[in-house]
Amino acid sequence: MAEAIQKKLQSELEKYQQMQKDVSKSMSARQKLEAQVTENNIVKEELDLLDTQNTVYKLIGPVLVKQDLEEAKATVAKRLEYINGEIQRYETLLKDMEKKSDQHREVLSSLQQEYQRAQGLAVGKV
Amino acid sequence: MAERNKRNIEVPQGVDRLRVEHKKVVQGCKGQIQHWATVKGDYETLEDRLKTLPDQVSYDIMVPFGPLAFMPGKLVHTNEITVLLGDNWFAKCSAKQAKKLVEHRKKYVNSALDDLHKTRKNFEARVGFTEDLEKLSGAKGDYVDIREEVGSIEEMVRKGKQRVALKPHSKPKMEAVVKIEEEEDQEGGGEGDGGSRRGVLSEEELWARLDELEAQEEQEEEHHRINTGKNTMFKFSELKEQKQQAKRKKKNGNGHSHHGLHNITTPTDLYRLFVDVKNGEPIPRKSILKSRSRESSVCSDTSESSAADFEERRTFGRTLSHDENTYSDTSDGITEEDSPTGVPLHTTSSFQAFSGTVVEKELIPLSIPQFTIALPALPTIPERKLEEVAPEAPQEAPKRVSKFKAARLQQK
Repeated sequence: MAEAIQKKLQSELEKYQQMQKDVSKSMSARQKLEAQVTENNIVKEELDLLDTQNTVYKLIGPVLVKQDLEEAKATVAKRLEYINGEIQRYETLLKDMEKKSDQHREVLSSLQQEYQRAQGLAVGKV
Repeated sequence: MAERNKRNIEVPQGVDRLRVEHKKVVQGCKGQIQHWATVKGDYETLEDRLKTLPDQVSYDIMVPFGPLAFMPGKLVHTNEITVLLGDNWFAKCSAKQAKKLVEHRKKYVNSALDDLHKTRKNFEARVGFTEDLEKLSGAKGDYVDIREEVGSIEEMVRKGKQRVALKPHSKPKMEAVVKIEEEEDQEGGGEGDGGSRRGVLSEEELWARLDELEAQEEQEEEHHRINTGKNTMFKFSELKEQKQQAKRKKKNGNGHSHHGLHNITTPTDLYRLFVDVKNGEPIPRKSILKSRSRESSVCSDTSESSAADFEERRTFGRTLSHDENTYSDTSDGITEEDSPTGVPLHTTSSFQAFSGTVVEKELIPLSIPQFTIALPALPTIPERKLEEVAPEAPQEAPKRVSKFKAARLQQK
């Protein structure tokens, strides 16, 4: 009886650990996105400071490709939107994962209690 | 005692851990601050360089050649600077434009630095608090945690009767007073129980009285509504009436105020009401409307065509003139601020027929003009009346004067 519970406990524990890893992965991805957002914001502001006289380049691999200022602004704006959308997506994902992990935690704690009780009984028996 | 010791041991452990975490955060903050400070320094040197760079068309410099060697060379196009804007974007700018960009970035760095400073201060304060808490719980420092053990139930029973829960809708002030009374009583040994109850009762009394008067008020309103079919005038005045009554409840024993309000049935009373600006002597207000314009606007439904209204007003006017003689001195003054609007209700409730005895005093001619110039409380005098009356009467003020004059004249 106690062994069965122990096995269950182990499997639940593993699942929970997996969940935690996923959560932390999403968290780090979201943080990266946040950094990108700030960077793109700065680029946008600096592009606004420039005028059409300055040539704008984009680094694609080892090549600096000339770009139009307006085009560059549009591209940066689009990228910003995309990143924000991604952040939203990750947030919802994170919330779901947290909920699931909470549920798992509860299951785990209840199993632990059972196990301890069973252990106690076993000790009593012996 | 054993429990207490155990508690003391547990708490410092938790507090210790908290302190450690706080300190970690503070360290992290410090590290970040250092990082941003270096960045700021770099940007400042860059700015300086940008200032001086376009001074010459070309510079002779030692160009780094690979990781180990340098080579003599020239720095040309001194005003053309390719700036990395971030995210693989570059822009070619002049030195001045580059300088502008650098300034913009410095702003950002400064804001980040400020935030970090704030968080660091915050957490340093928290560390201080947790240290204090540690001292407190450990009872080693100057601070001593004052703890009072909750005694056994028997002790409480012996002390005295338990407090009676006060009514939920009782006012806080009253509550506090009553509670203090109760405490005192309890200390006295339970004999003052009656006193505390009395305090509670007086509150109850007050609320009962308030309810009574409200009911009365509604009755009067109903009564008047039936007679006149008008609602507007009384909505506001009802509120005012209630307010007044609540005020009076607070005074609780100031009979004069009651008396004063309920017995406004003559023009003289009304005059007295509007004579509130007393600088040594009663100075009548030039226009009642002006001071109480808000209130009176509600009552300004001057539809003089309704017959019922007309009748009611006539009787109202008569009752006023009837009771003139009962008030001989104007020095009574105004007892309630809000009484004017409350007046019509009370006067109309007593639909007395005019008895026929009018005692005219010298005050009256004085009082009437001011009183009748703009009576917010009283219904406006219908103009039909004026036409009936010959303009013998001194019409110093507009037509409204004639109503009471008319009544008197009619009698004569």
